[in-house]
Amino acid sequence: MLEACKISYSHKKFSILENIDVSVNYGELLVIVGPNGAGKSTLLSMLANEMGQSEEPIYFKKKTFEEWDQKILPQHKAKFSQQNSNDIPLTVNDVVMMGRYPYFNSVPQQSDIDAVMKSMAETDVVAMKDRDYNTLSGGERQRVHLARVLAQLENDIAHKLVFMDEPLNNLDILHQHRILHTLKNFTELGNTAIVVLHDLNLAAQFADQVLLLKKGKIVSHDKPEKVFTKEIISKVYNFPCTICLNPVNQNPLIIFGT
Amino acid sequence: MQNKLPLYIFLSLVLLLVLAAGALYMGVYEFEKHSFFAIFQAIFNNDSSIPDSDKYVLLELRLPRIVMSILVGSALAVSGTCLQGMFKNPLASPDLIGITSGAMLFAAVSIVLGSHFKPYIPEVFHFSMLSIAAFLGALLTMTIVYRISTSNGKTNVVVMLLSGVAITAISFATTGFLIYLSKEEQLRDLTFWNLGSLGGATWTKNAILAAIILIAFSFLITKGKALNAMMLGERDAQHLGVPVEKIKKKIVVLTALLVGTCVAFSGNIGFIGLIVPYILRLLFKSNYHIILPMSAIFGSILLLTADTISRTIVPPSEIPIGILTAFMGAPIFIAILIRNKKSM
Repeated sequence: MLEACKISYSHKKFSILENIDVSVNYGELLVIVGPNGAGKSTLLSMLANEMGQSEEPIYFKKKTFEEWDQKILPQHKAKFSQQNSNDIPLTVNDVVMMGRYPYFNSVPQQSDIDAVMKSMAETDVVAMKDRDYNTLSGGERQRVHLARVLAQLENDIAHKLVFMDEPLNNLDILHQHRILHTLKNFTELGNTAIVVLHDLNLAAQFADQVLLLKKGKIVSHDKPEKVFTKEIISKVYNFPCTICLNPVNQNPLIIFGT
Repeated sequence: MQNKLPLYIFLSLVLLLVLAAGALYMGVYEFEKHSFFAIFQAIFNNDSSIPDSDKYVLLELRLPRIVMSILVGSALAVSGTCLQGMFKNPLASPDLIGITSGAMLFAAVSIVLGSHFKPYIPEVFHFSMLSIAAFLGALLTMTIVYRISTSNGKTNVVVMLLSGVAITAISFATTGFLIYLSKEEQLRDLTFWNLGSLGGATWTKNAILAAIILIAFSFLITKGKALNAMMLGERDAQHLGVPVEKIKKKIVVLTALLVGTCVAFSGNIGFIGLIVPYILRLLFKSNYHIILPMSAIFGSILLLTADTISRTIVPPSEIPIGILTAFMGAPIFIAILIRNKKSM
């Protein structure tokens, strides 16, 4: 699906990422975790081709991003970014409709309107569809942009890829779980998701693979139960923790401070 | 709302046509009881019963002037709207950020010192030297302002406006110096550029303007979606398949072309690029998909109305149109400042 070798990035001689190899398979939900400043967002940006051409090519479905038709590419991959612009003087519906821009020329088709409605239902923003985006709270804005990204990938293409940078910020418990369930359903259809998360327990519950970063290097890249061990986690986060089995779903449960 | 766009466009086009027809009737010269229909018919049939002066006033003075106000208004309003999309700010308009002054400066230089340059310039360009100079001036200032005020796709509004002030100051100083140097005939030309006037309209100028507008609009008018997406931030726009850098470059060159040509033909007509998008935003929010094509028509409506007022309000003379548009634009400038006080 997505293969990248030897990704490095430095800013003003200060190295942020060093020689990172990542490959992600079809139908996989990869969660990137790590302490502050580990380079999670930078890695995601590199993988999503935001930094321009990298020295080592990144292969998405066996083609580099440059080889893709730039008009088709947005129908195969989308990204949810962390800092969203705070002044967008449009209605919520208009903002979500931007996700369909790669699909229509001047007037949205019925399929576009349907896709917008479906993804707004998914993130629970239908009720505020005619409100001004600028009047929404942080969590509501977050859900509007999530709906926009979901609308962008609402099509019949197999094996799509979505990048999400801390999609659960500002969200309440209900919506955190709804978003992760939506992502899980998305990957179960053969699509791929690469997500940066802070909450290790949510990562343990939903991830197929976990990539643990510290100071621009990979500490561990494996299944959640292999990555989330007491030794690795307490060392990387520099904080004592206990790991036991979650009595409900048998995933690792991380309890910090013990 | 997006589906109603054709209806809005149709209605405002009708309004524009009605106003244009009305403007034909207004003016200092009184026609001898003939209706325009009769005059047009007479011209068509080579009828000599209509006085030549009627024909002349209608065909060579009034009609070209009305057409020019429609073209210039449209060009200025669309450049304003595109710049606001690119700078992501409702204060970015060709005059406030100094692009008009840049074009004016180069135009003034070519009026006064043009005769010295002429030997060094290929002969084909002699006729259009003024337009080319204005275009280059606009392009240069736009590039400078964008470079100074924008880093990483984010525009610092204060810096943007202040660089406009700085460029306007340079341009005023240089124009003042040139006035000091210039001969009487050149002086009259310079005053004309400074205050703006559509009095110099001819069919040749209209044809050139129309051609340039056609080229620029064919690219710009359809970029409403892209400008909307750029509100998300440039990276997010790229993920939606918008080739941000390419579009920005084209906007810079094409708006410089539009503004430069307008300045060359009609001088400094300010604030059109500020007033029109402001009014449209009140009506349709900031959806560029709607306000970009609408600004093309509303710019024409505004300038046509302003020009008709400017040539009828104090007969038999006329007041420079730049004064009128400034009277309308300045209060709106202040209104936007008050409204955006917090986000500056």
